[in-house]
Parts: sequence; structure tokens; C-alpha cells
Amino acid sequence: MTKTNEIPVAAQRRAGEPPESYFVPATDIYETADELVITADLPGIKPEGLSVTVEDNVLEIRGTLGAKAESPGEMLLQEFATGEFYRAFQLPADFDTDKIQAALKQGVLTVRLPKSERLRPRRIEVKIE
Amino acid sequence: MPAATLASLREEMNDLLNRFWTGTAEPFGLAEWSPPLDVAETDEAIIVDVEVPGIDPATLDISVTGDVLTIRGEKHDQTGQEGRNYHRVERRYGSFTRSLTLPAQVEADKVDAKAHFGVLSIRLPKKDAARLRKVEIKAD
Repeated sequence: MTKTNEIPVAAQRRAGEPPESYFVPATDIYETADELVITADLPGIKPEGLSVTVEDNVLEIRGTLGAKAESPGEMLLQEFATGEFYRAFQLPADFDTDKIQAALKQGVLTVRLPKSERLRPRRIEVKIE
Repeated sequence: MPAATLASLREEMNDLLNRFWTGTAEPFGLAEWSPPLDVAETDEAIIVDVEVPGIDPATLDISVTGDVLTIRGEKHDQTGQEGRNYHRVERRYGSFTRSLTLPAQVEADKVDAKAHFGVLSIRLPKKDAARLRKVEIKAD
């Protein structure tokens, strides 16, 4: 009997649709003069288990935290969240979606969305007559 | 034995939660947080994994006293940095202490810890006396 190739579940779903059950990573969002920054705690998640997409001004963070690679023996306590995770944010318009950067460091995902020129604060000089 | 261990861990958790809710775990009114743990036991070792996202592993403090493992650390609060206007703060910051009564005696000087993708993994080898030994039954 030939084994059928398994297609990852996430790939079968249309973007913009959350998985059936998932956990929600803790996320901070802040704004500076030049960018909007989203940081999420994703301990144990490797880059290959993570997807960050922007479509129609919706930023989606999703992925899977699988079971540990090596069998750790008998589990005595299990507090880590496992399985699929999902988070979506509606972005205000006027972000330069081509310049979005995402980085994973020490279990923290940082997504940087540079503001388009129009959104940046402008200093208006007051002329003294 | 494993069932009893699990029960004692659960008790410890409940204690921790109770202390948290009654406020005795916050001596100076600073809400401490405690990172999630995964604890596993094999024939040779106890393996404790701790979620430490955003914490430099070099700043973590791990100690074993008797059969108690203590992990201390601090996640530096960056929310006060100038020029940042926060819309949402869900991540926990500040210092934490997490202690755990180990289910077996361990070789304290052979404890090994490494961090990978925001997870600290501590391997505590069991003392010889605590290891599982199979007793062969002799049949005539």
C-alpha cells in the first residue's frame, strides 16, 4: 500500500480564516514616529513553524507549535500551550506593505511596519512675523 | 509514585495560585509573573523546560538546593521607552521566581541548561540511587 502524502492542514485553509482551535500569543503593539511595531511572545517556535502574512490590510500571525522532537519520557507537568496559534490585526491603511519586516529572536516575534510618508508626523514651522 | 508526584506538583501550583490571589506572593505590591513549565521524567534525568521569551539566557539564575530547583530571571520592561506609544500591552514583564520540588534526587553539580528559541531547557541527572533499576526475577 502506498502512503498518501500529507498536506499540512494550514495550507488547505484559505488565508483569513482562523484554525478550528488555536491559542493566542501575548502581543504588544506600539507606534513610533516612523513605524508600527508588533511584538509577540512565541517561545519554542521555529521560523519554519511560523507564518506572517499581510492581505487586504490584515496582518496574520499563525503557525504550529509541535510536540517536542525527542520523547522526553513521562510528562509530570505540562503548562506550555501547544498546537496551532493564530492572531490577526486589522491595520490602518497607508502602510508600506512591501517594507514590512519580521524577525524572530529569543522566542519573540517582532513585526515592523514602516509608515508611509503621508502618516509620518510633520513638524510645521510657525513663522514669526 | 508518579501519581503522587503529579499530585504534589498540582498542590504546589494551587498554593502558588492561592498566594497570588491573596497577594502574599507580592511583598511590595509588584505583581510577579511565573513562566509556564513543562516537567518530564526519564529513567536517567528530570527535564524542566521554561518559557523565557525575550529574556537573555545569560541573565537567568538557576539553582538546586536539596531537591528544590529554583529559576530566577527578569524580563526587562521596555514599555516605558521614549518615543513609543503603546496601543496594547499583553506580554508580562518584570522579575520572576519559580521553584519546583523535584520528584527524585539529582546530581546538582551535573545540571545542564541551555536556551533555544526562548525556551530554557534544564536537564538534571538523577542520582544513582534514584534511578530505576530493573530487578530480574529468577525462575527455577
